[in-house]
Amino acid sequence: MLSQEEKAMEAIKDALRALRKRHLLEEGAHAPAISALSRPILSQGSEWKEKTEKLETELQQCYKAQSRLSEQLVIEVAESRTSKAFLQEKELLIIDLQKDLTQTREECTRLQEELDDKTKTVDVLITENQEIRSQLEEMTNRAQKAESENKMLIDRWMLQKMQDAERLNEANDLYEEMLAKLKANGLESLARQQVDGIVRRNEDGTDHFVESTIPSTCGHRIHAHEGGCGSIIFEYNSGTLFTGGQDRAVKMWDTNSGTLIKSLYGSLGNILDLAVTHDNKSVIAASSSNNLFVWDVSSGRVRHTLTGHTDKVCAVDVSKFSSRHVVSAAYDRTIKLWDLHKGYCTNTVLFASNCNAICLSIDGLTVFSGHMDGNLRLWDIQTGKLLSEVAGHSSAVTSVSLSRNGNRILTSGRDNVHNVFDTRTLEICGTLRASGNRLASNWSRSCISPDDDYVAAGSADGTVHVWSLSNGNIVSVLKEQTSPILCCSWSGIGKPLASADKNGYVCTWT
Amino acid sequence: MANEAVKYVWEGAIPLQINLHKSEVASHPAPPPALVLAPRIGYLPLLIPLIKPYFKDSLPPGEDSIWFDYKGVPLKWYIPTGVLFDLLCAEPERPWNLTIHFRGYPTNILIPCEGEDSVKWNFVNSLKEAQYIINGNCKNVMNMSQSDQEDLWTSVMNGDLDAYTRLSPKLKMATIEDEFSRKASLSSPQSRQGVTETDGAGQNKTARIPVRLYVRSINQNFENLEDVPEMDTWDDISYLNRPVEFLREEGKCFTLRNAIESLLPEFIGDRAQTSGEERSKDGGTEEAEAEGLPEMGEIKLARIQGIEMKLEIPFSWVVNNLMNPEFYLHISVLVKAPQR
Repeated sequence: MLSQEEKAMEAIKDALRALRKRHLLEEGAHAPAISALSRPILSQGSEWKEKTEKLETELQQCYKAQSRLSEQLVIEVAESRTSKAFLQEKELLIIDLQKDLTQTREECTRLQEELDDKTKTVDVLITENQEIRSQLEEMTNRAQKAESENKMLIDRWMLQKMQDAERLNEANDLYEEMLAKLKANGLESLARQQVDGIVRRNEDGTDHFVESTIPSTCGHRIHAHEGGCGSIIFEYNSGTLFTGGQDRAVKMWDTNSGTLIKSLYGSLGNILDLAVTHDNKSVIAASSSNNLFVWDVSSGRVRHTLTGHTDKVCAVDVSKFSSRHVVSAAYDRTIKLWDLHKGYCTNTVLFASNCNAICLSIDGLTVFSGHMDGNLRLWDIQTGKLLSEVAGHSSAVTSVSLSRNGNRILTSGRDNVHNVFDTRTLEICGTLRASGNRLASNWSRSCISPDDDYVAAGSADGTVHVWSLSNGNIVSVLKEQTSPILCCSWSGIGKPLASADKNGYVCTWT
Repeated sequence: MANEAVKYVWEGAIPLQINLHKSEVASHPAPPPALVLAPRIGYLPLLIPLIKPYFKDSLPPGEDSIWFDYKGVPLKWYIPTGVLFDLLCAEPERPWNLTIHFRGYPTNILIPCEGEDSVKWNFVNSLKEAQYIINGNCKNVMNMSQSDQEDLWTSVMNGDLDAYTRLSPKLKMATIEDEFSRKASLSSPQSRQGVTETDGAGQNKTARIPVRLYVRSINQNFENLEDVPEMDTWDDISYLNRPVEFLREEGKCFTLRNAIESLLPEFIGDRAQTSGEERSKDGGTEEAEAEGLPEMGEIKLARIQGIEMKLEIPFSWVVNNLMNPEFYLHISVLVKAPQR
């Protein structure tokens, strides 16, 4: 027997042999045949099928993706189109805006330049203004200086004039004194012949002493002038009445018949005052045209035109002594003395307050003037010097009229008071008032009756009041006219009394 | 550098002729059978990718649940193909005719198979079991890296002995010293021997060998293998998962006979049959029954890796050369059932 080990080895060898045999029977025999079969082809075929399936699914996916992409593309294209259009719009807009911008810039620069110009001009103007102001100041100063110099000069000149006038007056005084002495000698003898103690001074001609009647009834109502009648005056010792009015005419009326005798034309302005020469040959009118006109009554022509006043002439009087000297007052604050024979002004008196009424004394040497300040002033004709002044009224003096004998002077004032002064002493002899009596204007003239007993004054309501000088009472109130009375005049023969009103009506009262 | 026997074991493959079950033929003409070579150490589900293309177009519509049957008996997929063949075909049928089904998975008989992964996990589990038996613990398998496990499995799947030889030492499986292997082959397999073990029981004295024993009992007597009746049901097969205690005695060699005896003690009294077919090292090959012991069953056939061996063959050689990659030894035994 084999040893166990040998048996074992034998068994192992057998096993190996069996394995080999199995190999030959199983995989050895079949493997080549199986692998040679068309398995690769089939599997490949199936592989191809799988591949195609995969590719198909991929293709489907690609188609899907493509459709999605083309949709997106369409959207994108549309969007890009709109964006382009938008962009174009914006570009155009930009161009426009740029144009606008350049335009505005240009405008701006232009405006800036203009502004600069304006600023420069303003500066220039300012400097000019300042210069002019300084110049103005200079000028004002100069003017002030000039004015003060002027005043000073005028004062000095007036002073000079006053001094001249004073000198003249002195000379006249001396001469007068001499004359007076002479006259006094002559008068002493005359005075003895007087009966009632009233010294009448007569120079030329004769005196008519006529008893005046108290007027009560209206004789005639004459429509003398168109517009107002500012001045009436009777001829000396006659019933002929001269009226001067706003219609620049002087008319001559017969008061007995109430008819117009004559008209005197030639005045260039309103007739503000009238004066008649003593010989009744000439009529002088004070006109608002700064002139005085002198008519020759008989011929009716203007003999003289007295120029020299620089404002309206509101009062005129002529010397009763000689028909040569005329004195006039104008609103240039002057009184001028005229010589009718020469035809021009011989003297001029200046004063501060305007003179409304003027009256020459009997001897023709003294001028009585009533002023706006209510004073009555006396002037020497020859020297032009102020002799005296007296406050007569609290407001303006409107009328100054001398009595027939020259001793009394009647002044009327806007304070509706009528004062009678003594001409020599300038003391008030009497004061007349009436409640209804209001003076109508600055130039309302009142008058004294020829027998120096009555005073007549018109008032604004158209009535004429008559007072008696001896007792100061109203003796008569004459009502006829309706418009304010501007002027009264008493005839030298005692009657009538005439009154003129603002409507141009003249009434005669007897 | 493995020895010759191991090479044969790894290269072994069974020709299969696979027919589509006629109930599932949905194309005309019926598809021809597929011919594949199935590795003995492999598993049937691993063949599906090879087979499916053949029958894909012929299938009826629906989902696939693939299973095989041999003569009506559904085949358990976790048993290596070679073992199935040795067990079910008493007379080896080459090519082996199988039927493939794509529908109607018999869930009462077969556990579900989810493809390659199920097979892989089955393999790894078996590996752990084997290591537990051999080393006393399976920590080496557990500690193996995922990629190494994958590579090990891949080498098994592909039948790549060289890769397997490279990777398996990582398992540190204790092996039995086998001087016979050294002597039997000229090129000494170093990797198998020499590595005795580092831990575990049975260093040189005793070792435990993991064995899976499949016993098919036939009721009737038969003379030739061709006369073996067909198996009807799995109830005819009993399955033993019992390790063999390898006793190393001085002067004595532990043979295959010894091993079988230890596993199937009821079939004690083995008769050395020299009828031309070597017995595989199953448990005790008992033929005493044929001599007139009617109570005892008779081991008719014991196959390992498709071969029968002399029972005097040292068991250590058998273990080292004929075991499956998961370190299990599969033994198919055909017995005549004891008449009791």
